[in-house]
Amino acid sequence: MFGLNRGRLLVATAVLATSGLTLSAMPAQALSPHQEVGVSSTEIKLGVTLPMTGTASPGYNKVPSAMKAYFDYVNANGGVGGKKITLVVKDDQYVPTLAVAKTNELILKDKVFALLAPLGTANNKAVAAAVNPGRRGVPVLFVNTGYSGFANKKLFPTTFSLLPSYIVEAKIMAQYLKENFSDKKIGLLYQDDDFGDDALAGFKQAGLNFAVKVPYASGSQGVAGVPATWITKLSAAGAEVVVLFGVSSATGAALATAAGMKFAPKWVLGSVGGDATTIKALGVPAGVLYNATGASFLPATTDTTDEYIKLFQDINTNYNKGAVFDNNVLVGMNTAFVTVQALKAAGPNLTRKSLITAIEKKGATFASAGLTPLMFSATSHVGYAGYWFGTYGPTGDLKPNGGTYTMYTTDSAAGAVVKSTYSRPAMPAKGLPN
Amino acid sequence: MYQFINTVLIGVTSGAIYSLMAIALVLVWRSTRVVNFAQAGMALLSTYIGYECIQRFHSFWLALLIAMIAGAGIAAVVDSVFMRTLFRRVSHGPIAGVAPIIATLGLLGLIRAGLGLFVGNADVSIRPPVSNIGYTISGHTLAFSPLKLVIVCAAMILMLALSILFSKTNIGLSLRASAFSPEIARLAGVKVDRIRTLGWAIAGAAGAAAGMLQTPNGTGALSPDSLDFSLLLVFGFIAAVIGGLESLLGAVLGGLLLGLVLAFVLTYISGSLVFITAFVLLIIVLLVRPQGIIGMKRGRRA
Amino acid sequence: MPRIKSTNFTRLLFFIVLGVALFLLGNRVDELRVYQGATLAMYVIAISSIILLTGYSGQVSLGHGAMLAIGGYAAALSHEHLGLPIWICFSIAVLAAAAAGAVLGTAAARLSGPYLAGTTLALAVGLPSIANQFPILGGEQGLLFDVGAPPARLGADFTQYKWYFWIAALAALIAIWWLQNILRSRYGRTWRAVRGNEVAAELAGIHIGKSKTLAFTVSSGLAGLAGGVLAMTISTVSPSAFPLSLSFSLLTGAVLAGVSTLSGVIIGALTLVATPEIADAISRRLGNSENVTTNLPGLLVSALLILVVLLVPNGPVEQWRKFRARSLHEVTHR
Repeated sequence: MFGLNRGRLLVATAVLATSGLTLSAMPAQALSPHQEVGVSSTEIKLGVTLPMTGTASPGYNKVPSAMKAYFDYVNANGGVGGKKITLVVKDDQYVPTLAVAKTNELILKDKVFALLAPLGTANNKAVAAAVNPGRRGVPVLFVNTGYSGFANKKLFPTTFSLLPSYIVEAKIMAQYLKENFSDKKIGLLYQDDDFGDDALAGFKQAGLNFAVKVPYASGSQGVAGVPATWITKLSAAGAEVVVLFGVSSATGAALATAAGMKFAPKWVLGSVGGDATTIKALGVPAGVLYNATGASFLPATTDTTDEYIKLFQDINTNYNKGAVFDNNVLVGMNTAFVTVQALKAAGPNLTRKSLITAIEKKGATFASAGLTPLMFSATSHVGYAGYWFGTYGPTGDLKPNGGTYTMYTTDSAAGAVVKSTYSRPAMPAKGLPN
Repeated sequence: MYQFINTVLIGVTSGAIYSLMAIALVLVWRSTRVVNFAQAGMALLSTYIGYECIQRFHSFWLALLIAMIAGAGIAAVVDSVFMRTLFRRVSHGPIAGVAPIIATLGLLGLIRAGLGLFVGNADVSIRPPVSNIGYTISGHTLAFSPLKLVIVCAAMILMLALSILFSKTNIGLSLRASAFSPEIARLAGVKVDRIRTLGWAIAGAAGAAAGMLQTPNGTGALSPDSLDFSLLLVFGFIAAVIGGLESLLGAVLGGLLLGLVLAFVLTYISGSLVFITAFVLLIIVLLVRPQGIIGMKRGRRA
Repeated sequence: MPRIKSTNFTRLLFFIVLGVALFLLGNRVDELRVYQGATLAMYVIAISSIILLTGYSGQVSLGHGAMLAIGGYAAALSHEHLGLPIWICFSIAVLAAAAAGAVLGTAAARLSGPYLAGTTLALAVGLPSIANQFPILGGEQGLLFDVGAPPARLGADFTQYKWYFWIAALAALIAIWWLQNILRSRYGRTWRAVRGNEVAAELAGIHIGKSKTLAFTVSSGLAGLAGGVLAMTISTVSPSAFPLSLSFSLLTGAVLAGVSTLSGVIIGALTLVATPEIADAISRRLGNSENVTTNLPGLLVSALLILVVLLVPNGPVEQWRKFRARSLHEVTHR
């Protein structure tokens, strides 16, 4: 019974298995010497990984369709050098190991030209370690995270950030808090990983002390009773101002639970979790958000006097099936806008190398909806560097304090926080970069 | 002081939710000797049905009732069609221990994916039927609201009703007999298969109640991949094991103990210790009393 | 006795041949397949550990992912802090997980079915998050585990993933060969005796507790090796690398493989790796709507699992054997 029969079976199975794998393997295409991976005469293929489903997905899963909508608009108007942009979307459920697997698929199977706006600090770090797009020369454009480490060109040579780093955000927030609430007890709720640690580093840099700090394990916001323990701790410490530096689902849980426990400090929402539409969809009454403080680096989503907002709202109606125009859609479209500029700036011979060089050389001059300049250069892969502060109105929409966008900028190191005098250049005609 | 009171209240409320889940698991265990991982999936499906009812009839209580009936029905179907076939095919060998678990896990995945395909993965929300604003005592608001009172009462009522059912009625006797010794029960005229399905049906209703009540209690958001339901199942299972898997009282006590310990650890120590605490608590209980709090040292081993 | 010796030699030869076949194959396929091959090898080791524990020793662990985690972290720690060569790191992974398994196994011997299941489940959920509490374990972001670039003499074209494949495949071959030896030895017979009938086994002089604990230890050691290989393929260990779903996947793979026999382990591992691929291909044919791409893989895997459990509960290998035995019986008893 044992012995050769079983052995034969094992051999047979192994041979079958491996030949099955071989047969289904896509034949390696002989690339013509002038053709870059992911670029054909008709198409430029980009790939994105993010949580489309799962605990952390609310809000963020609207970004890909927004990006696609802008790309469709561009494609309908000639594309990039006649090539259409396609976006391959993969769901990683905010799990770093899934992000690695999906990114492998994007690079090795879908053979995308570049990765665009992959979401999540932990996810991007895992991908950098395991897939190493830097070593493969695959551009990682405009990562959808503010982790300051990604700006390190040595560690992440092909990665470009776009969002201001969390250290920048924390420093600016600290200045705002010190200016406005210096005599109050301040509490902090933060995600217990690199994302939250980055913020802690920024607050420490700015010398802000918290009366109470409440970490939460990523994913535990869905466990019964956990948000209630956060609020209990915060209110027991007597916090009069509370900073929420977590993802949308955690922010929503905190706000909803606090409303139930009639704990109503002054809320200060970090940019990551601060999208009003998402929070309202999670069951938080608009009244709870009323008078809370929030921050952004893009114009307010309701500011129809802004030419970019008008353009994006139009594109949203025509190409995005009229989805709700919230901050996620705005971020998605703006990122796509900057991407198209980068692709065009790389010139007629589009390769991964020429793209990276183009962003380094010309990135600082790219038009975008952002209200601070882009800081791309040969030595810096950093995007935006500042925020404006606003207040949520009675319907939950964020509007700038004082009616105008007062931008504060700083760096991720020891630089001071200064008011920016940057005035945003006009949008290219019809929102199509040239 | 109020932090302490609030922590206790949080513990009791979340404990009640875990108890509901644990009751469902104990019920199925006692009647079939199977740990039903599909419980979370069935609860999820029932909660979606409840959501649809709320959309149509605008009444949470009616929806709750319908969801529970639906839960019972789904569970009955799963048992009579799925589990019975399974047990006929797999009656001995090492696979017998593992197959039901795997099968119910598969069912869980199937329900989730199916829901996602038909309903979409977007969040839908269930609003609480009664206020979720805490009661106020001398100026301090407690972490206890009418909604949480409803949850605790529901767990209590269910436990009481089921205890009475098990100990004082003929059906209850049949349920216990069928689980303990199916052959002899059959000889005594008990329709063992049907009784077992009844056990599953009750469990399905309890799970549906847990889902319907917990959703507005949490973020209010419901989606096919809510991690919340899986965690609910895991913690409910831990609560059931702590309680001894043998009695409904044990399930409730286990749930309360787990809820309280978690609440205290999270409030007084650190918010990131959620998962470790559950594990450590389980280990401690099993070290001190390997049969669980109310378990009996019995000759028959699973 | 001579017959066993030659069988042993034949088996060794077979494994060597298999190794050469894998080597040749690795040179022919593209990088994605090679990477999947490494993952496949990892699953083979991990699933075999479940087959040993559940199939041969009759104990159910719902949280074997925790043992993989221990192995993975042990390997990463010994590499990062002690700078040891990779093979030693893997050995440490095996030993660390085996030690943990010995401890757990002693406790497990006291627990029956669902209590053991509950404990292992809680372990799988709780253990990875311990990493968050001790900075040396790297917290949520974890530790780096970089086995290094392939040696220069293999040529500049030798990709990193192919190197992973070589290491993983070699580890798997050694592990399976060794496991087969153990299962055919006195220990294997003891385990099967206990699984068959505990009372009879005890009467025959077998110490039940020791036997079960040994099974747990060996199984955990194997799982630890799988954990090290897993850590290598993703170059990190972190709590999120060992989620509860990993433990469930392993159980699934074991059932698909046929939990009571080792021969089907490649089938189980292959199904785990191939099904998401197939689902992806199908959803692409069906038009790539977001709903479908997100949910179809899960649907296929779950449906497959249910079908297998209902139709072929003892696994395809056992079923095939029964079928052959039955048809043989029919032929000879006409």
